[in-house]
Amino acid sequence: MGSDFFEITVNFIKIAVIFLLMVQMVPLLVWVERRGSAFIQNRFGPNRIGPLGLVQNLADLVKFLCKEDFLGHKGRKNFFYAAPVLSLIPAALAFGAIPLSSPVTIQAFEWLGRSWGPYTFYFQSFVISIGIVFVLGVSSLAVYSLLLAGWSSGSKFSLYGALRASAQAISYELALSLSIVGILLLFSTFSFSEIIAAQNNPLQFYFFGKQVSIPFLPNWGIFYQPLGAILLFVALFAEANRLPFDLPEAEAELVAGYHTEYSGVKIIMFYMGEYGHMLVASALMVTFYFGGYTLWPFLTPEKLNLLFSSFHPSWNSILTSLILHGVFMLKLLFFLWVFIWVRWTLPRFRYDQLMDLGWKTLLPWALVNTIVTGVWIFLMRSF
Amino acid sequence: MAEPVFVLLSFLVLYGALITVLHRDMVVCALHLAGSMLALAGLFFILGAHFIAGVQVVVYAGAVMVLFVMVVMLFDLKRKNYILFSGGLWPKLASLFFLTGLIAGVFPLSLHLFHPQSAQALKTTSTKELSSLLFTEYVLAFEVLGILLLLIAVGVAVLCRPKREGPADVMNTKKKE
Repeated sequence: MGSDFFEITVNFIKIAVIFLLMVQMVPLLVWVERRGSAFIQNRFGPNRIGPLGLVQNLADLVKFLCKEDFLGHKGRKNFFYAAPVLSLIPAALAFGAIPLSSPVTIQAFEWLGRSWGPYTFYFQSFVISIGIVFVLGVSSLAVYSLLLAGWSSGSKFSLYGALRASAQAISYELALSLSIVGILLLFSTFSFSEIIAAQNNPLQFYFFGKQVSIPFLPNWGIFYQPLGAILLFVALFAEANRLPFDLPEAEAELVAGYHTEYSGVKIIMFYMGEYGHMLVASALMVTFYFGGYTLWPFLTPEKLNLLFSSFHPSWNSILTSLILHGVFMLKLLFFLWVFIWVRWTLPRFRYDQLMDLGWKTLLPWALVNTIVTGVWIFLMRSF
Repeated sequence: MAEPVFVLLSFLVLYGALITVLHRDMVVCALHLAGSMLALAGLFFILGAHFIAGVQVVVYAGAVMVLFVMVVMLFDLKRKNYILFSGGLWPKLASLFFLTGLIAGVFPLSLHLFHPQSAQALKTTSTKELSSLLFTEYVLAFEVLGILLLLIAVGVAVLCRPKREGPADVMNTKKKE
């Protein structure tokens, strides 16, 4: 946690702020989702309450708070109440492990009559050496909340929804993990910050033992692993249970799937979990394939440090970190918009098509991608 | 810092395992087993085996236990109880017999655990060194395990395949007639 009072306090505030950042994205995303869907479908969308309909979500929240807290007579109370909370935890934990900006270094300073030693604060809730495995593992726990919700509702529709959700999540998890392996091989590391640091360079690679450098392109994963990026993105859609893979809550067949019996604030927590998944998915795409918080050659930590070199080193570091955080958020928002865009553009898959896509298309292609990447890297570097 | 966390996690592991054995509701049992697995991953983590901890979460808590929970929920076994509480005399005796055997077998082998020594095997916590060991020194065991898993997958696929009445079967029945 830290060695003294200052460091511990800052770390606690950091954890709270990053969690709140995630939670506060949800109303914004709901608004974008409604207005965006209206834009795509040539309607107005909610535009009555507040400027551009922005306050609509607040009104909805009041409505949710006033709803009856309902539990069917065949429901299991403890599990029924635990499921919405569990849906929020995995997304929050996974999002906390992803670096959102460059680390902030604070020089030693005098305050309250004593000196406070130099600190380094990482712009993420916690630093974990096996970042990627941690994120994969934690997000695989999200299935429990869906299963528990569906089962404890004591309703057939909920149970069907939960079964579909869990079968889908387990099927696509394989393709998801395998599609990342190419990137891991390329950058040969498990830590997010090292992957981002490797992408903060001009595009350079070995071609039969000779080092080739393309000075006007950044060293982003997308240029090496376009197939891996597509596979990962599709698998992330399925993991987040979003359209075109929203079979678990197909309204025409299952009423509303695993959260049919839920009402009020509990259903908001499911939505928060879903949007949290979207956030984690977008953050993973940005980190693996689009350079994370760096934007070489314009906005890199080094250039910003040089730009702010007239400031005190601590302020220099803070300003750099904030600007790079803005870069990260812009990239993140782009992918979130893609999520919404796809949802309102593509129709839903049939269930057998979903399973075929997972097992017969994504998984073989991810395997081929892994093998080809491995062989290619071995050949190019060993000549 | 590490010691209270260690004690807490060990308590959670044991508590989850105990409830798994003793509780009457199958779903509660399965969920407690999952919790026990997670706490075990936490133990691995604070002991420095970060990668093993991650794999423990991904494989056991994330995949295996999800299947367990799913199956248990589907079959709705909550009214069926088990041998410990409601079985006949013979199952009880049999389980007692097996428990005695297990304790007799495990106890002498685990006595040395009360005198902790420094671990000799792996002094590494980094994923890189672990994986290079896995692919050089232990590559045979690794590959054999992979083949075993493949065999299991093929076996399940064969066993679960619905019996088709293909041309071969039709020929056989005709011959018998």
